Amino acid sequence: MAMAQQTVNTAIDSLTAALKSNIIPNQEYFLQGSILDSSVEVLLHRLRGLCDNVDTNLETFHDHEMCFSIRGPNNTQPLQLRVRRSLDHNGMPMQLRYIGQPEIGDKSRPTVLRNSIDIGTSNTVVEFLTELGCRKDFEYSAKGYMFRKGRMKITVFKVFKIDETRKMMSSGGFDALSPLTHSYLVELSVLAPSGQDAIADDMRCFAEQLRPLVQLEKIDYKRLVHGP
Amino acid sequence: MQREEKQQDAVLEAVISRVNDLKTSIGAMIFKVENEYETLNWPNFLDNFALISGQLTSLTKILSNEKAPALRNFTVLPLMLKPDLDENLARVTEGRLTTFSHDIVPDYLRTKPEPDAELKMMQLEHKANCVTYETAQKQVAAMNKVVGHVWDLVNKAREEWESEAGSRSGAAQTFSLTDTPLLVAAISMGKGLKHTVAPGAMMGGPPPGPQRGPGALGPPQGPPGGIPGQMGPMGKAPSAIKTNIKAAGQMHPYR
Amino acid sequence: MGVTILLSYPVPENKTGPQTVDLLIKRIGALGAVQSGQFLVDCETFSSGPTMGGPPRTVHVLHNSEQPAAVFALLESPGPPPKTVPLVADGLFDLLMLKMSSIYASKKQTRMEARGTRFEIADFLVKIGTVTMSSNFKGVLVEVEYRPCFIAGNCWELMREFMQSFLGSVVQNTPPPYFQVHNRLNDVYQPLDTIQQYLDHFASYRKVAGL
Repeated sequence: MAMAQQTVNTAIDSLTAALKSNIIPNQEYFLQGSILDSSVEVLLHRLRGLCDNVDTNLETFHDHEMCFSIRGPNNTQPLQLRVRRSLDHNGMPMQLRYIGQPEIGDKSRPTVLRNSIDIGTSNTVVEFLTELGCRKDFEYSAKGYMFRKGRMKITVFKVFKIDETRKMMSSGGFDALSPLTHSYLVELSVLAPSGQDAIADDMRCFAEQLRPLVQLEKIDYKRLVHGP
Repeated sequence: MQREEKQQDAVLEAVISRVNDLKTSIGAMIFKVENEYETLNWPNFLDNFALISGQLTSLTKILSNEKAPALRNFTVLPLMLKPDLDENLARVTEGRLTTFSHDIVPDYLRTKPEPDAELKMMQLEHKANCVTYETAQKQVAAMNKVVGHVWDLVNKAREEWESEAGSRSGAAQTFSLTDTPLLVAAISMGKGLKHTVAPGAMMGGPPPGPQRGPGALGPPQGPPGGIPGQMGPMGKAPSAIKTNIKAAGQMHPYR
Repeated sequence: MGVTILLSYPVPENKTGPQTVDLLIKRIGALGAVQSGQFLVDCETFSSGPTMGGPPRTVHVLHNSEQPAAVFALLESPGPPPKTVPLVADGLFDLLMLKMSSIYASKKQTRMEARGTRFEIADFLVKIGTVTMSSNFKGVLVEVEYRPCFIAGNCWELMREFMQSFLGSVVQNTPPPYFQVHNRLNDVYQPLDTIQQYLDHFASYRKVAGL
């Protein structure tokens, strides 16, 4: 009869409890860099030596990312939402992601930090966001490789423009992609609950091991806006 | 019993595949050393080493797994030796071993050192035991001195090499300083990815209408439809793209 | 997850909500049902402020204790054409709604909840619960799930017979309107269908309340 007495908690209660005990990974520590197409093989080789997933073959991915924004009242900062779907695995859940403003912090902080909420969703998410009042700002496709080292994730990928003129075709324009640059973007990131700053130092150490091949840095986003 | 056999088979299969991986890596490395010794650089060589060491670790992991049967408890018993050519064996060993004969088997199935070597080892051990404590100490000190000297030499060489490497940094650039911000700006705020241009300005593809084609974007053109008219907007379009992107950039919330 | 049918059980004039629930529990107990825990379905409704422009849009966010890791969101868009867009997401979606609180505000006074007891009887799962709107009693809902079947059209007759055995004439002889309106009788039944039915019932309770 003990069962009968036990009441079910509401989802919001459980979420609040999880937030209080700080177990939700809602922060992303990250560093970014790039490598020229001509040297990417060397980097992949080194990453295979350094990372955990050497047993299997190179882990590749090809994703389509759409970036949406929705404006709040009184010209407050618009909320940025991203949808990612895998192009090589159809029917997988899509990923909806909120990312906050990146914080560079002072010199003593080893990585950039930003708020992040990662949500797996059904494939109705694009229509849902559109009807919610979100505007699609831009989209791209990312194709490359993924590595793991403990809790760290390392991605090496190329950014492609999506050809508008071919979008209506059955391939959705993903068969004729034009790369944005002659470089691969390299990202080192960890999703963690807030306050786990020790991981950032580990990331710095790992980044050191990729030098001078790639320079993983804290990219100042504010400067990008006014840059060339 | 059957389960154990199955497990053993599975483990052996895993071991064989890892050993094959290892073999390929070592083969690739040997190939590099033999054929690319002129262009091979040190980091690249170390990367190869790291890969091999990773593969060795994963092999050891399998062997030390508690599910793995202790392979040393199994006996390999040669049932038949013959001096004839064995094609099957040659195929299995990729041509390294063609006969399973009397002079080869003792070497391949050996679990102890050769008798000659064993004898020599015993002699050396005996000799070592006969040396007095003082002499041993003296010899150790002398050895340490020599090793220390070599250590200093290597360190010096390393310092020289590092300063040299530092001075010629940038000789072989592996990344572009301008591409990183470009890519980051693209994926974070859509720089260079936004479609702010009207479809008419797209290169290629027929203009949407015969009159109000791409010309609608640029300044007034001559009579539309003609070839010069088409050339005009083609030339104008990029400037329209530029200004549009700039305008969008200024509108952007990051400040 | 099998086909599920949700019915509103009218509270008789001379009885209270809890008394009605007790009566139903007694009846299902007499059939040999075994109690197996509690259940909870809740629904919070958010609507867009005037800054969005155009008519307001509404997002209903529902949770079902039967799918504890999922959040169901149903967006009512004025269109044109007017439509409902469903989204199934994992639990962190609630955090996102909190982030959007300046754009989509929660109408706390319309928060609805169906809460009660779960019973198992052979292949059926029966849930009997009371509906409350910001802790005011609104009615009694009975959820019946026939677990071995995924197509409502194939098992409606069987389910009707079972439901009539303890709910009596409250059960109509034709499938509930949800299945007919959305033409879901011959499709594979999904958790989202249960959620839709709850939302429909919640909406009609709200209408009665004049909200």
